[in-house]
Amino acid sequence: MANIHANEYDVIIIGAGISGLVCGCYLAKAGMKVLISEQHFKPGGYCTSFKRKNFTFDAAAHCFGGYRKNGITRKIFEDLNINTRLKVIKSNPSNIMMTPDYNISFWDEIEQTGYELEKCFPHESKNIIKFFNFLTRSPASEFIRIRHMTFQDLLDLYFTDNKLKSLLSAPLLGIGGLPPALMSAFVGAKLYSEFLLDGGYHLTGGIQELPDTLAEAFQGSGGTLLLSSRVRKIKVKNKSVHGVIVGNNEFISSKYVISSCDAKQSFLELLDKEDVEKEFCANLNKMRPSISNFILYLGLDRNYRELPCRAATICFFSHYDLNKSYRAIQKADINSYGGYMMYIPDREPSVLAVIPAPYKNEEFWNENKEYFSSWFIKRIEETSIPHLSEHIIYKEAATPLTLFRYTLNYQGACFGWAATPSQLLVPGFKKNIEIEGLYLNGHWTTQGMGISSVAYVGAETAKLVLKKQKIRYT
Amino acid sequence: MTKLVEKTIIEIVSDVSGFDPDEISMDSNFFKDLEIDSIKAIEITVAIEKKFKINVRDEDVPKLTTVRQAVELVGKLLNQKSSKATIA
Repeated sequence: MANIHANEYDVIIIGAGISGLVCGCYLAKAGMKVLISEQHFKPGGYCTSFKRKNFTFDAAAHCFGGYRKNGITRKIFEDLNINTRLKVIKSNPSNIMMTPDYNISFWDEIEQTGYELEKCFPHESKNIIKFFNFLTRSPASEFIRIRHMTFQDLLDLYFTDNKLKSLLSAPLLGIGGLPPALMSAFVGAKLYSEFLLDGGYHLTGGIQELPDTLAEAFQGSGGTLLLSSRVRKIKVKNKSVHGVIVGNNEFISSKYVISSCDAKQSFLELLDKEDVEKEFCANLNKMRPSISNFILYLGLDRNYRELPCRAATICFFSHYDLNKSYRAIQKADINSYGGYMMYIPDREPSVLAVIPAPYKNEEFWNENKEYFSSWFIKRIEETSIPHLSEHIIYKEAATPLTLFRYTLNYQGACFGWAATPSQLLVPGFKKNIEIEGLYLNGHWTTQGMGISSVAYVGAETAKLVLKKQKIRYT
Repeated sequence: MTKLVEKTIIEIVSDVSGFDPDEISMDSNFFKDLEIDSIKAIEITVAIEKKFKINVRDEDVPKLTTVRQAVELVGKLLNQKSSKATIA
């Protein structure tokens, strides 16, 4: 007979993305009985890798930031004792911004990055220093002032040169999914301080090593990880969470449920309609998700000299009108978009290339996937890797539908909600006020995006639960 | 009125920081005592603005370091709002 307590946990976490795993690690380490239920057959969410023909491709995210001394990600890895188990390598430069006029690298030394920008924009020299100082040295309270601003507003406070402003904003379109006129200044500032000015950290065997190591640490602390296990329902009793239903109608009880999956799914599908406030649902339906991506994976036949800077993330733009680019992408008009992001790992000759893409139906992608791939390869060939097409021995692409299928993020959104000022830190998202014991976690909390941010949210969610339980954490 | 403002602000700070309302006093410093970082500082400010339907101005931001200061500022902004409403 099965153990009658087998289906009882203190905490159930839905989704083994980075936020879910980090959260689970903190809770299990503090002695709580934790279950993570993940629908995919491997942990990681957007941080997974897959192997084809001796190539290891990172499926979406390929590197992380915030790993300097006192950096947000480093602090978490140290707390969880996984920093010694991971072989973290920093690429230097971490990012390269390419336009027809400029080629700017983001170096380990922030001063060096500033110096490169100053060389190209000598008339903005002092402002560049002031801007970087604001991003990296401001006290926490300083950021309150920029809470309602867009990143464009913030740039306008510091700079007059429009080309420089576009150049500084272009990487954010790739890693945050919005042009400066729409992106929250705070989110842009965080992406700068925690990714562009402290980024390029990758793992020797691919990004999958991160969730795998977290999963190992979680299980090592007594946590239970269920893979290929989709949560179907979150059950609520007397305004408190009561447990979840997984797979084939199996009920698992818990005092806390932490939903590290998408917000719409959590509140509109997993919870019963009568358990969620109507006003909250109405607000949820008005919110806009972030953009999805079209991702190209190429395996190449040898290391040939034309391969540009290995291990750096390259961001290319042929023009400076980022609002035009963003409008183009809503219409799936890749020709007018004018940019792309690309990563060539140092472990093998392969290419990971990304452009934002809208969520469209299967018919659209069946018709257009090949066109997008061919256009993309041609574009890379023209702008950064000559003769690329002659060396491809493996080719695959992921559309927004693929991203949705593997992660169940609403419409394949890559960054949770679109990071506009009005969708920043919306009250009632992280901890549900109506339902006791229910928390949302990860990039749908309106708290930020990217690995360092979701790891931070995961750690903070765990701390909320531990404080509630009066359990000390270290 | 002040008591209600105080209670509401402590609830918001408790929700954001995770500290029990009993652990939060009027003299608690957000940054030194309650582990408030930049994200949580904005979260608290946005929640206060939404809850009381007020707008915290840039010049008031430095006044937001303790619970007492937040309560006083919200009280002041609410008074201004009601006197404006009376004039209108």
